[in-house]
Amino acid sequence: MQGFALYPFDPPGDVAALRAELRAWLAVNQPQGDVVARANSWASFDADFSRALGTAGYIGMTLPTRYGGGDRHPLERYVVIEELLAAGAPVGAHWIADRQTGPLIVRYGSEEQRQRYLPGIAKGELYACIGLSEPGAGSDLAAVRTTARETAEGWRINGQKIWTTGAHFSHIMLALVRTEEGSERNAGLSQLLIDLDTPGITIRPIIDMAGNHDFNEVFFDDVLVSLGALVGTRGQGWQQVTAELGLERSGPERYLSSHALLAALIDAAGADPDAAVATLIGELTAEMWTLRQLSMSTAAKLAAGEDPMVEASVVKELGNAFEQDMPRRVQAIVDCPWDDPGDLGRLLRALLIASPSFSLRGGTREVIRGIIARGLGLR
Amino acid sequence: MSAAREMLCDTARAVFAEAATAGMAPIDEAGFGLLLVPEADGGFGGDWGDVNAVLQIAGVMVPDLPVAGLIAPDAVQPAATVSLMAGAMGQALALSIEHVNTRQQFGRPLGKFQAVQQSLAVMACEVRAVEAAAAALAARLDAVGFDPAAADFEMAAAKLRANRAVGVVTAIAHQVHGAIGFTAEYELNRVTIPLMRWRSEHGNDAYWAAKLGRQVSGLGGQGLWEALTAR
Repeated sequence: MQGFALYPFDPPGDVAALRAELRAWLAVNQPQGDVVARANSWASFDADFSRALGTAGYIGMTLPTRYGGGDRHPLERYVVIEELLAAGAPVGAHWIADRQTGPLIVRYGSEEQRQRYLPGIAKGELYACIGLSEPGAGSDLAAVRTTARETAEGWRINGQKIWTTGAHFSHIMLALVRTEEGSERNAGLSQLLIDLDTPGITIRPIIDMAGNHDFNEVFFDDVLVSLGALVGTRGQGWQQVTAELGLERSGPERYLSSHALLAALIDAAGADPDAAVATLIGELTAEMWTLRQLSMSTAAKLAAGEDPMVEASVVKELGNAFEQDMPRRVQAIVDCPWDDPGDLGRLLRALLIASPSFSLRGGTREVIRGIIARGLGLR
Repeated sequence: MSAAREMLCDTARAVFAEAATAGMAPIDEAGFGLLLVPEADGGFGGDWGDVNAVLQIAGVMVPDLPVAGLIAPDAVQPAATVSLMAGAMGQALALSIEHVNTRQQFGRPLGKFQAVQQSLAVMACEVRAVEAAAAALAARLDAVGFDPAAADFEMAAAKLRANRAVGVVTAIAHQVHGAIGFTAEYELNRVTIPLMRWRSEHGNDAYWAAKLGRQVSGLGGQGLWEALTAR
């Protein structure tokens, strides 16, 4: 990781107008949801909202128009995403399809897959989940054991995925499976795009410690999909997944998922806060501003066709630390009972409980730091 | 980096190398005091991006000379200090990486130990954050014609972020260096001591946190986002 220059974040067109249009649209169309749901923006499922957002052209923005997309620049999409998150809009239903599955299908998918899936994604009607983790393959993703065997009828899939966010409402899964018999580690893996209503698939909920149903176990029992389910190049699944994770790690969701708490803290503090609260607000704001610069720079680098794997990991590491620290630091300073019914109290409680997951999802803190260390030339 | 800025940096490195023993004279003679003066007035006509680049080099090579004071007006000294700090932190990281890749213990380089790797990853994140803060502040100063009042938010956020990184960066740099880094002879202290000093100069953490916190409180929760995205 030699030196670091900020990539200029310079989306085409009138960014101020894009923000203003979206804010006006949200003022009319965003449901007056619960404050805790707003703090959980990209995990909040609302199919009606996703459909409306898609109709308005804010989903699949970067996809080609011939597949129903908007053919917009990735940095225009970035602006839209950060506005949606800052507003706490319920974008969870289409989140993964819009963020990574759609772009991945454009990049690696067959023409048939593009025509079949992309229009639904862009409409905000087709949802996707990511089949990576398995019971024996968590941080050690290369230990994936779910197999897909090529037969005359198609791919025959056996195995199990776990911690699969949104599998229970998704239509498709992009799964990393072992297609080459006898292969080991990160060789012999491929990506398959699997319709989740295919016979032989069982999805079971896992309820998290906050009481929410976000992730699932997904079982594959002799599941048969067509040979056309292969995405990209057979045996290149590892390389394709690694590239995809760059999209997952550096976005504004890495520092904006707790933004509702910062906003509530500022509102609760009033115009003339006491010294300790003012100091906390100042420190959190400085961190948030810095993270936004890093995230925008990384997005600009991605948009320029480069692979900012290490920068993306820096954003995730710092963003997770910021979001985990924030509720703890607010709790340490603001006198607010555990069961306080006000906005600040409810947000605080919800984020304290949710925050352990921030440095687990999308790669654990230890794995992310390992990637950064490799970028530094230490591994 | 533009070719012109690349040349400027090359010049800065050569001049600062001389200044490290000769003091300010070579820097004065090379005309660095004219960096921000418009070309029409006989200056170099540089922007704050140039200042940021030059001061990052100064933070490594001549941290004890008043280069920032020569180049930039008093009102933007906090911004100049952020650039010095970004440079010094980058050097602390570079020295640390070099050391752990070279120094062997238990039969292998220190950098092969996960505990050391994880520490340096934490440090690298802090350094990248400060570099980003310095660059974003520079962009803002250039956008508003170096007007410190129009860049007050960024100046507060960047100096505060840089201050907060000092503890982590100096602690990890020294920890991975072991005893050699604590000697007067080894070059690490030539960046870590200035970093400790700069944290106090032109506003410590408490000063900027209170200032920024009060500014943001006046905006309100929604107002903060609107203000951030309007700049």
